Order: sequence, then C-alpha cells, then structure tokens
Amino acid sequence: MSALEIKHLFGLRGVSKHDIRLILDNAKQFREILERPVKKVPSLRGMTVVNLFFENSTRTRTSFELAEKRLSADTVNFTSSNSSVKKGETLVDTLRNIEAMKIDIVVVRHKGTGVPKFLADNSKAIIVNAGDGAHEHPTQALLDMLTIEEKLGTLEGKNVTIVGDIRHSRVARSNLWGMTTMGAHVTLCGPSTLVPRNTELMDKVTWESDVKKAVKDADAIIALRLQKERMDDALLPSMREYRNTFGITHELLECAKDKVLIMHPGPINRGVELDSEIADGEHSVILDQVTNGVAVRMAVLYLLAGGRANA
Amino acid sequence: MRNIILDNVCPFVNGKFGKPTKMYLVDGKWANGAPEGTPVVDAQGALAIPALFGLGLDFKEPLRDDIYTFKDGVAAMTRGGFYGGLYESSANAIDDSLKLAAIQQISAKYGLSIAFLGAFSMGYQCKDLSEMVELADAGVVGFGDGNQDCSRTRFLRLAMEYGSMTGKRFFFMPLDDSLRHHGLVHEGSYADTLGMKGIPRVAETIAVFRILEMARFLKVPVHFKQVSCGETLKLIERAREDGVDVTCDVDIYHLILDDSCLFDLNSLDNVPMPFRSAEDREALWKGLESGVVNAISMNHDPVLAQDKEVNFEDAVPGAVSLETALPAIWKPLSERLGAARAVELLSTAPAQLAGVAPSKLSEGERADLVLLAQDSPKTVEASMFAGQVWNSPLLGKQLPSSIVGTYINGNWTEV
Repeated sequence: MSALEIKHLFGLRGVSKHDIRLILDNAKQFREILERPVKKVPSLRGMTVVNLFFENSTRTRTSFELAEKRLSADTVNFTSSNSSVKKGETLVDTLRNIEAMKIDIVVVRHKGTGVPKFLADNSKAIIVNAGDGAHEHPTQALLDMLTIEEKLGTLEGKNVTIVGDIRHSRVARSNLWGMTTMGAHVTLCGPSTLVPRNTELMDKVTWESDVKKAVKDADAIIALRLQKERMDDALLPSMREYRNTFGITHELLECAKDKVLIMHPGPINRGVELDSEIADGEHSVILDQVTNGVAVRMAVLYLLAGGRANA
Repeated sequence: MRNIILDNVCPFVNGKFGKPTKMYLVDGKWANGAPEGTPVVDAQGALAIPALFGLGLDFKEPLRDDIYTFKDGVAAMTRGGFYGGLYESSANAIDDSLKLAAIQQISAKYGLSIAFLGAFSMGYQCKDLSEMVELADAGVVGFGDGNQDCSRTRFLRLAMEYGSMTGKRFFFMPLDDSLRHHGLVHEGSYADTLGMKGIPRVAETIAVFRILEMARFLKVPVHFKQVSCGETLKLIERAREDGVDVTCDVDIYHLILDDSCLFDLNSLDNVPMPFRSAEDREALWKGLESGVVNAISMNHDPVLAQDKEVNFEDAVPGAVSLETALPAIWKPLSERLGAARAVELLSTAPAQLAGVAPSKLSEGERADLVLLAQDSPKTVEASMFAGQVWNSPLLGKQLPSSIVGTYINGNWTEV
C-alpha cells in the first residue's frame, strides 16, 4: 500500500483515508529529515517542478519551493506579475508553453475554482493545487492534520473547531473533507454572512453560530484569516465587532479545554481573529504548522511523482 | 428548391402522428405527387414534426461577425429543423429603425421566418429611450432588455409607459444585478461546496416581482425569458389570476441540466441564467404541464472556442442549442407531456409569442418539417455545429434521438 490512488492533488473531497494516511505517514518521515543537519534527499532529482502562482503568495510558494529543493527537484517560479498572462495569454497557452519546456509537476494557485482540474485535463503534467478560489487548499489542510496528529497522537475522535470566514475559505473546505475522512469531528463557526447557507452536501460537520459553544469541547481551534475586503463588501460592520464576537481571545479560551491547540493558516491579523498573546502563547502551534507545511508538501510531491522519480 | 419524397414517414397531422406513409415535398409544399426523378428517402418510420420556432436567437452579426454570422445561424436553424425564430442580440442592440432595416435585409436573404425584438433603451444602457414607435412601425414584434438588468426602476417605468403606445410586449430576462453580484452559478449546495459565488433565487424573483408590479400598474404585456425557478412560476401564476398579461418561457437546457453538473467544472455549463437545483428543474417541468410556462426557448448564443477553453469562472457565458435541441428534448418531453403539447411548446407557442404564423403539416399546404428518428441515439460532436463554435453543454453527451433531415423553405437537407 505504498502508492497513491490519486494522480493529481486537486482537493481533499473524495480523497480516500488510505491516501491521506499515506501522505501523513510520509510527511512524518520527511519531518525527521528536516531536523537533520543535511536536509536534502535525492527523491526528485532530474524532475522539474514549476510553481505557477496567479495569486500573490509568500508563505505557500516559499514552502513549496523549499519542499521541492529538499527533494532535489529543479524548480521554476512563474508568477502572474512576471508572466505572459499579463500580456493576454490564455491559461491553456501558458500551460502548453510551460509544458513544452518538459515540466513534470505543476503547483498552481489561481483565483478560479477548478483551475487545477482544468490544467490536468489539458496537460500531461502532475498537478498540485496550492489554492483555487474559495474551493480547496489541500496541502494546508494536510499540514493542519499532521500538526494535530503530532500533538495529539491521532485525529480519530478529536474535536476540531474552525472559526471565521468559512464561506470564502478554501482552508476550511479542505479541512472539513480531510479531517472528517480521518475520523475527526469538525465544527464550523462564523458570522451568518460568512458561512455558506446551503450545507446539505457538507453534512458531516456541525455548524454552530455561538462561538462559545463551538470551542467548548474542541481539542484544536483553527482561526481563519479575516480579509479586510469583507468590510468593504458590507459582509461585516467592523473588525472591532468581529474581534469581540468571533476573535480568539483569553476570555473565549476560558470556555475551552485547558490543553486546546490554537492554529492559524497565516498570515495572522493580530488583534482581529487572534489576539497576540494567544498567537504567541502556550496553546499556539502555528510555527509547527509552518514547519509541517514543508514536510507535507515534500510527501505530496514525492508520492505523486511515484515511479517517475529517479531516486 | 430541392424536392424530396419521404417514404415510410409518420407525419404529425391534426395533433397526432399518422401511420407510415409517403410524403411528396415539392416546391415548399406537401404535394400529391412529385416530378419524375425526385429523390426518395426511406425514413424508416421516422417522425415528420412541424418545423420549430426558436426564441432567443443571437447570431452576433454585424458587430461581432468575428464570432458568428447570420449565415452560420441559418445553417444551425436548418440543421436543427427551425423555420423561424425571435432574434435579439446582446451584441447588436436594435435601437433605431436603420439598424432594424439593416438586419432585416441580411435576414431576408435566407427566407426564414425571423422576427426581431427592438431594444427599449439605446444600447441596452437604460439611460435613453429608443424610438419605439418608429421601431414598431418598422416591424419589431416586441421590446427587449438584451438580457441585461434594468436596475433603474424609474427608467423601466418610463420605457414601459412610452412603449405602451405601440401595444407591443416587453421581454425581460429577470435577474437583479445587485443580488447577482458577480455570481455565475446557482447559489445552492453545489456552489457552496465548491466555494463559488452564487446567484440566489431571489435575484430572479425580486426582478420578476418588480416588473410584474410595473406591468400591473401600466397595463403593459410582459414576457419573462429563461425563467429558472419554481418561485417565479408562482408569481407569474398569481399575476395572471389578477389579470396581468404575462407570458414566460424556459430555456431548453434548464429542462435537461441542473446545478449538480457544477461538480464537473465544465466551462460549457457556464450560461447567463444559471442551472438551478433539481427541485427547480422539476418545477419547470410541472410549469410546462400546468401551462404556466408558455414555450421552450433556445437562447442560441455562440461563444468562441478560446473563450470556452478556459476554467469555468473565466469562460464567457453562453450556449448554442439549435442543432441539438430537438433530439435532446423530444423523447423526455413527448413521453411526459404528449406529442401535441411537445409540438406546441417547441413550435406553435413560441411562434405565437413572436407574432409569426405557425408551422403545421397539412396535405396541399406549405410544409416545413424536421424528420426525427426518435429511438436513434447520437453523441454530440463539435462538427455538428455551424460556424466556428461548439459551445454546447451537451458536447460529448449522447442524445436519445437524432435528426435524419429537414425540409425548410423548400429545401431538403440531410443531417
């Protein structure tokens, strides 16, 4: 049972427990490698990975790039600000041009839902989703899962609460699919304008509007970043009211378990979704998430490359 | 003229299909006989259905003839069995009589029964009124919005009030732009699962309610294009009971597809009026049964390949339909509602809405027909479409029936 059933990583909806387990187990091994003095393995030597980022990203792109380099792949960065896309080239043409340069793996981030699948339909390369619209961000969810397993031993039976802008969150969507597949109980909580109204197809999770109730039994709380544009769009009255109602504060944590984990996909709006003292406090595992991000992405790339790698 | 003898064909006469017989199609008429040497086609029991009438034709010419032309559109009509249609182009607002004359001239070359909707505002901008009286005198059969929301309610009132002098019907695609808010798909469980911006049903019902109230107030006849949800049909039914002159159509694809197709993320499913839920789809079918829905519309809207060969959200909305409409819908429609109602919804009722004489089959009379092998499935391929477009949500899918040929305007075309 050492091969993935999936050929690409578009998202975690529909991905089997076997595949998630395999990725997490491999990530744990890569996590150990990252602690060594020499952090590099030859697994993807001879392979070329392009990071095709049509949206701004610092940490995800850096994390992927590090993962690729730790695996000895050749890496090319292709961002919208320096690409021919700005000159009117279509997505397919961009991909075909890149593919003509004999690329093996494409890591893509795009504002459009389903762009990774679209690229896979039009290319022979292995596609890894680094975030598509508000749809999925599977490697973020995998690193969240790895962090929880690392700290709590297992996801099975654990209560994970995600608080914030669920409606626009690809992180929340990937987490709800991945974590429920792995046996965790997921509770989603946010302001009524920032949660989806039609949840029939997301019925394996609990929807809770009262944040105190949502965190009460949580083993881990994931606070989502609140985009400032939500205020411009009249989805919320103010950052202040959001912080007072849904922010992760000391007062709120008094309602939670003593050893609850505090997580955040970053970058943090300190004093909005997460108070500084919590972000830097004893419950926070945010920097562990960052380290695990590299390990998870190494595992994903390594496993998807499968027999195509030289090592 | 290309005459033909159809042998072993079942013609639709007086509301039902007759036994297999021989039809002599000569000089545009169903004749008693044919000149010697007229070719014979063995129809093998295929149905001869009165040719169809397509609501919602947009052939792009003249301003976007880089996409599609009238010639392409006529070829699509001929392949699909349409003798006429109601033309309204979002790319070419017919907002003065010169533009109308120009497009009438293009249309006249082909001899099909195409009627035109004028724009009630200049360039569909809802800022300046078009010369509706002159347009009506020059032959438009009604006034349309170009499938763009007229959010300025006072302008809507004035347009309908002024246009009431013509006695013509106003045609609207009801979708409140503010509630649409960049949405492309139905706001439902599929869109929310995918994290896509949705268009709620209230975007349609609020627009419908506003227009119905205006129609009631001004006593102006109105028509709703591409109704997509059950709630709208309830509003229309209630308004009719109150005496408002209101008609409506449903788009052919809304009877076949619903928002569950979103999981495919196929840019060909990106259409201006989103596919709504399975419950809505069933409500539309019930509307056809009850008679609340007057007609099935085509909304033939060509989009270039490069504007569809992109991810769903970046695709240009629109679908072509003429070539595949009948083989896609005939079996489910006739099985559920009967052949007579199916012909009414696809041919006579849409023609009536456009003020065009209906197509009917009667020996000795003019005959425009489409020959359908109803139990002969066919897979939709790009080559089936006229012009350089193939933007059909049915591409690659199997249709339950297939068109054998059409006899339109005195010409037999084998498909």
